[in-house]
Amino acid sequence: MKENIFDDLYKALINYDEVLVKNLAIESIKEGIDPIETISVLRKGISEIGDKFQKGEAWLPDLMLAAKTMEIGMGPLQNEIEAKGIKRSSLGKVVIGTVFGDLHSIGKGMVSTLISANGFEVVDLGINVDSKKFIDAIQKYNPDILAMSALLTTTAPEMERVIKAVNEAGIRNKIKIMVGGGSITQEFAERIGADGYEPTAVLAVSLAKKFLNIN
Amino acid sequence: MARKGFKRNFPPLEILSKEDVEQIKKSTLDILKETGMTIEHKGALKMLEKNGCIVNYDTFRVRFPEGLVNECINRCPPSFRVKARDPKDDIIFGGNSVYFKAGPGMDIANVRTGEHRIATKQEYIDAVRVLDALENVDWFSCYTPYFGYMNVPEVMKMTMGFVQDIKYSTKITGLGFANYNWDFNFRIAKIAGTEVMCPAFMVSSPLTLSEFAVEVGFKALEYDFSIGVDTGSVMGATAPATIAGAISEFNAELIAGIVLAQVKKPYCRVYVWGFPNPQNMRTGAPYFGNISGALFNVANNQIWRDYGIPCRNTAPLYTNSKLTDFQNGIERGIPAILSALSGASTINLHGGMYGEIAHSPIQAILDDDVAGMIGRFIEGVSVNDDTLALDLINSVGPVPGHFLDKKHTYNWWQKEQYTAKYADLLTYPEWERAGKKDCIYYAEEKLKKILAEHEVSIKLTEGQEKEINEVVKELYNFYLEKGDLSEKNDFNNY
Repeated sequence: MKENIFDDLYKALINYDEVLVKNLAIESIKEGIDPIETISVLRKGISEIGDKFQKGEAWLPDLMLAAKTMEIGMGPLQNEIEAKGIKRSSLGKVVIGTVFGDLHSIGKGMVSTLISANGFEVVDLGINVDSKKFIDAIQKYNPDILAMSALLTTTAPEMERVIKAVNEAGIRNKIKIMVGGGSITQEFAERIGADGYEPTAVLAVSLAKKFLNIN
Repeated sequence: MARKGFKRNFPPLEILSKEDVEQIKKSTLDILKETGMTIEHKGALKMLEKNGCIVNYDTFRVRFPEGLVNECINRCPPSFRVKARDPKDDIIFGGNSVYFKAGPGMDIANVRTGEHRIATKQEYIDAVRVLDALENVDWFSCYTPYFGYMNVPEVMKMTMGFVQDIKYSTKITGLGFANYNWDFNFRIAKIAGTEVMCPAFMVSSPLTLSEFAVEVGFKALEYDFSIGVDTGSVMGATAPATIAGAISEFNAELIAGIVLAQVKKPYCRVYVWGFPNPQNMRTGAPYFGNISGALFNVANNQIWRDYGIPCRNTAPLYTNSKLTDFQNGIERGIPAILSALSGASTINLHGGMYGEIAHSPIQAILDDDVAGMIGRFIEGVSVNDDTLALDLINSVGPVPGHFLDKKHTYNWWQKEQYTAKYADLLTYPEWERAGKKDCIYYAEEKLKKILAEHEVSIKLTEGQEKEINEVVKELYNFYLEKGDLSEKNDFNNY
């Protein structure tokens, strides 16, 4: 029974069948299957889409739909984990947001979704986030990584201000900082004192893993 | 006096039926009425509510009635002048005029290697002088040529770049805004005696206007500058993947800005522009140079002609290529000519390398030829007794007759034929003997010549420079007090 559910769940995920994924997640709970084990099946599906993407056989809408499908399946599984008090490990914690003055959410959303789908815990602060909000979130959630996004050349300098605030708050050595967005370059990232930059959401996931020495 | 630009002397390319145009315009009205826009500016919300919009102050959502929308569109002048420091560089928007415009890049690019890095101050000034000298650069974008230069703190870069633009060129420039620098920038423009093209009410697609975007727009209107309402739809990401749907949303975003402008200051000068690109479904970046972006522009130019408001196209500035190569040429050349054929008032073209990542004066020089070629094309075919040359054809007759030694040829060939300035036009043996030089070599030679010879037509006076320096000093102190500058620097060295 478990094998059948897992087999169907895997196929439903890679076909982006949100309804079926949710139904199968619920069925797995009813059958008493460990939700952590069920989540690993969903992760396997996400990995396959990720591999296809790297080979040029899948595109961003595939990745995003797969991640959204997984998120829908995760709903009941997450409830079950909390109800049973099961301890769920994550690869690490990421606080993410689009910087002040910038209302663009898509790139940040892609990174947030893919990082989450890959097993990180994500605290998404949304858009138009000023340095105070970033600092408050770092102090509240104690993340491993701070990720900032800016699409506009006019808002990119805001990242430097956040990093300066992180330095002044005395918490710079507790976190790794990654930056990204349409107007960001490697040179800019280095100039403002970020620890890393990647041009795409998929590579941002690899960078997050690299920061935390995860293979 | 004003810049000549080019005149399109034949009907524009139209690819939508009358019914298509009406259907898209109706969709735009429906979006504005049903969903509306999020406008994060309380003053704007009050103003719009007073003028008949339905406003939700908790969500900042504004829904626009059709009557107000149509009234505001009708208030926009179909043609208007923007004044430069030197009247020869004034721009007259609208009608069948087509202008070309230089675009920005964060860094200076090496067109042969694709490498890029932040420009030095001298490189910044050199690049401004090149754009000032080029015949077919009619005006500059914001933060053009580069997004600042070396040894200037990030927050000061935009303003310092703008100062060099107005010092070394009399051409009109766009003016970028960030971090509360707008009032300082507008004051600098006023001191220099130039109008600026203000990208105001800059929409964050989908359907959102930030507080600062509105604030900049209102401030520009206070200074009586023209308003460039813009948005940046990415098809498949911030807008539908379908071109008709994306245009409907794009235009709703622009019209929201027009309503804000025309309610705040009726009959103000407005043009529209934006960045319509499909999403690159591999990288998540906009897919520059995609033919669907050109298709969007051609269709939308037709719609904005119908609204009677000048429209600027940006797509031809951008390419995915990191080099000056075949891909660069094709991704920029095709959208550029399609924009010109379909009635864009201004086309962003000169100098752009890979989005806004880099700019190159060499690329700008080569682009000047592209503008020249397109300009020649849209001027069309002149048909009259003189150009038909019937008497001449009859007098020359069959072989061995020819036209090379005729006065008619002498008088007409340079008007009829555009001779590329920087292309390799040699015969093969001459090309070999001359060291197999390419167009980049010829552009490099032109660059040297401009830097050796070109002077801005009107220099800023000592008094103007002093006043501008005072404003820069004020801005510097403003940022210092705000805590945006980490240490005291000598801003005179900027």
